[in-house]
Amino acid sequence: MSTLELQNVSRWYGNVVAVNDISLNLGPGVTGLLGPNGAGKTTVLHMMAGFLNPSRGTVTIDGKPTWRNPAVYRDLGLVNEREAVHGFLTAYEFVLASAKMHKLPDAPGAARRALELVEMTDAQDRRIETYSKGMRQRTRVAAALVHAPQVLLLDEPFNGMDPRQRMHMMTLLHSLGDQGHTILFSSHILEEVEQVSGTVQVIVAGRLAASGDYRKIRRLMTNRPHVFAVQSSDDRQLAVALIGETSVSGVEIANTGLTVRAADYGSFTRALPRIALDRGIRLRKLLPSDESLESVFSYLLEA
Amino acid sequence: MSEASVIHDIGYQRYTGRRLGRTAVFSAIYVHGIRAAFGLGRSAKSKIFPWLVAGIVLLVAVIVAAVRSQTGVVVFNYIQFADSMSWLVIFFVAIIAPELVSRDMRSGVLPLYFSRPLRAADYIGAKFVALASAVWLLLGVPQLVMFVGAAFTTKTGMKGVWNELGDLLPGWAYSLLWAVVFASISLLIASLTGKRAFAAAGIVATFLMTTPVVGVLSILPSSTAQHLAGLASPMSLISGIGTWLIPSANAGFPVDRFGPVYGIEAFTLIAGCLLLLLARYRKVASL
Amino acid sequence: MTTVAYITARGLFGRRRVLLLLPLPLLLVGLAALCRSYNVNPADWGVPVLTALGLAVVLPVTALIVGTGVLGSEVDDGTIVHILTKPMPRSNIILAKLGVAVGVTAVTAAVPLFIAGTMADSVRLGLALAAGAAIGACAYTAFFLMLSLLTRRPVLLGLVYILVWEGLLGRFVSGTRVLSIEQYVIAISDKIAPTDLLTGRVSLPVAIVMSSIFVIGGTLLAIDRLRSFSMAGETS
Repeated sequence: MSTLELQNVSRWYGNVVAVNDISLNLGPGVTGLLGPNGAGKTTVLHMMAGFLNPSRGTVTIDGKPTWRNPAVYRDLGLVNEREAVHGFLTAYEFVLASAKMHKLPDAPGAARRALELVEMTDAQDRRIETYSKGMRQRTRVAAALVHAPQVLLLDEPFNGMDPRQRMHMMTLLHSLGDQGHTILFSSHILEEVEQVSGTVQVIVAGRLAASGDYRKIRRLMTNRPHVFAVQSSDDRQLAVALIGETSVSGVEIANTGLTVRAADYGSFTRALPRIALDRGIRLRKLLPSDESLESVFSYLLEA
Repeated sequence: MSEASVIHDIGYQRYTGRRLGRTAVFSAIYVHGIRAAFGLGRSAKSKIFPWLVAGIVLLVAVIVAAVRSQTGVVVFNYIQFADSMSWLVIFFVAIIAPELVSRDMRSGVLPLYFSRPLRAADYIGAKFVALASAVWLLLGVPQLVMFVGAAFTTKTGMKGVWNELGDLLPGWAYSLLWAVVFASISLLIASLTGKRAFAAAGIVATFLMTTPVVGVLSILPSSTAQHLAGLASPMSLISGIGTWLIPSANAGFPVDRFGPVYGIEAFTLIAGCLLLLLARYRKVASL
Repeated sequence: MTTVAYITARGLFGRRRVLLLLPLPLLLVGLAALCRSYNVNPADWGVPVLTALGLAVVLPVTALIVGTGVLGSEVDDGTIVHILTKPMPRSNIILAKLGVAVGVTAVTAAVPLFIAGTMADSVRLGLALAAGAAIGACAYTAFFLMLSLLTRRPVLLGLVYILVWEGLLGRFVSGTRVLSIEQYVIAISDKIAPTDLLTGRVSLPVAIVMSSIFVIGGTLLAIDRLRSFSMAGETS
């Protein structure tokens, strides 16, 4: 059980502020670090991994700083964005070397288990320079996992993986998260983040824009009306009734059903069933159509 | 929704106008090469090394010119000047040749270059001429400074200036020889690797390796060996040609009757390097 | 620590680049053999072959290629991350790499110098040169290893040091000789086997002290810089 904590962390290069006063707390489970390109995700990850010192603030794992502290790597694993690996080694040799450098008691065994975990056992005796991009990625994940670290940081881990490999990696991350590891992965591909974890930390232009479950974040955005797609047995009547409600700010009628904009999520969701019941309208479909991570993300960016 | 599908022409048009020819391509790469050599149009860091070397060479020329104008003593003539700057020229090409050639290889832009109407010969030729021009400027401009210094302080009027010019022109030709030999060799070595650092080290090592060989060969007991010793190193090769063609200049390497041998070797060396370069760039995909 | 040394050694030898190390020693031995077979007076060929080629070119250039290659290439292509994300003291990493670099440089330079020295004068000179080369290898590699952590273009700066500082200035400006590793090597070899072939221009105590400073100072500085090794944002 490890906590990764950033307290008022800032990082600047001369006049350019890359990371602006970020405080966050990561516990067990999988968290997605989300942000547009250039937002500072990699900078934050490098600071967490001890490869960059914060200009201000502290980055700690269980209270111990990550900068200039090699001992922290006993509980920390990092999978970098850059693909670089020692190409002249085979995957097995590479992961074995990683295990030996961690001074694991059973290095060959640990290496083999790690390679099995990422499904690289077939190709493990070929040199890494002959691998495809996805295979290299998986090898690096194996090397980062070989010492079963409490905290695992991954920078754009699904880069270059085909859908099957991606699913496998997601399942792996899920299971590790369920076992109590703290996993943070950065991405700007929203579908991936949605599938792997609901918990996100959103970084925009160096600042932490939001953290937590993205559906809950959406509900916190009260200045944007929620959009619902509704289909019923009598759309027009329902529309007339809904427009009279104070929580509804707009209704659109189309062939495919109603699009309702509701400013107050809570009141609307309580009012709708009552209205339908009173008028004897049968509801067929009720879907929040902008609760996706994509809309949350774009709202955060525009804000 | 049953109309025929059509893609509308909204602007992507084939260019049917005038196209410039091979000369334009060649000169584009040439100009780019010269600018890259001196760091023009680039960050300050890329200007440091070339201008540092140029500054030192220029400084020496200014000092020589000043000494000559004040005391009339000729410390170096134009030929000896080029010879004494040999290590700086080595350093200069060691920095610039990788900049011209290794950079393209490493960044993977060669397929971009060669999928256009650019022939390998033009690419190599332009880079070679650019590097040779850079080296010639490195040596030629200081020689011009020396000339100006001497011309303005000559005591024999127009005749003195004319004499001086007669010394400058062979000096320039000598610098040109330096430029061409060094450019061809260093470009070939630089084209062997995409990492600029290794190319630079390789170029320096190659030139440095050859000097002691000359030293050793020149003390072997046979006089033929002693006279031919200069063939082993580019610096003494050029010096030998200088002695052969411009005997008055005391270039420093005694070649006796073997002058033409030096000339032939220089020519073969340059041609050989360029042909090898051409062969190397034939198959771009493998680079 | 041995794992790091193993990876470094494999990285050094597993590529064609290692062939670059061959021509220089071969040339040295070849020239010495040539002179010997022509019965040229060693007093004549000793200086150009042993000093000008051996100590001034073969030793520093090999040290440059190896010293900047053991760490510099990993920093350059980013694979250093895999070595750094381990709970190993940074001093272990530096010492392992330094050990490999010194070993390779020393063998590549000392063996041909030993052979050439023996051919020139005596076994004693050969051994003296080999010993001097070994010490020079330590000093040069430590210096270049440190350079590869201090700057992004260590090879270029190393070349400036070899060509301009030791080569050009060392000839003309006597003050710079105190900071020239080549001079220390010559002084030490000269002391072990005094001969006219080697003219030391710095005194032995200075040579020993300065060599130690280069080795120890370079290593300590490299270790400290590795502790603060930082990577900026997106792929750089």
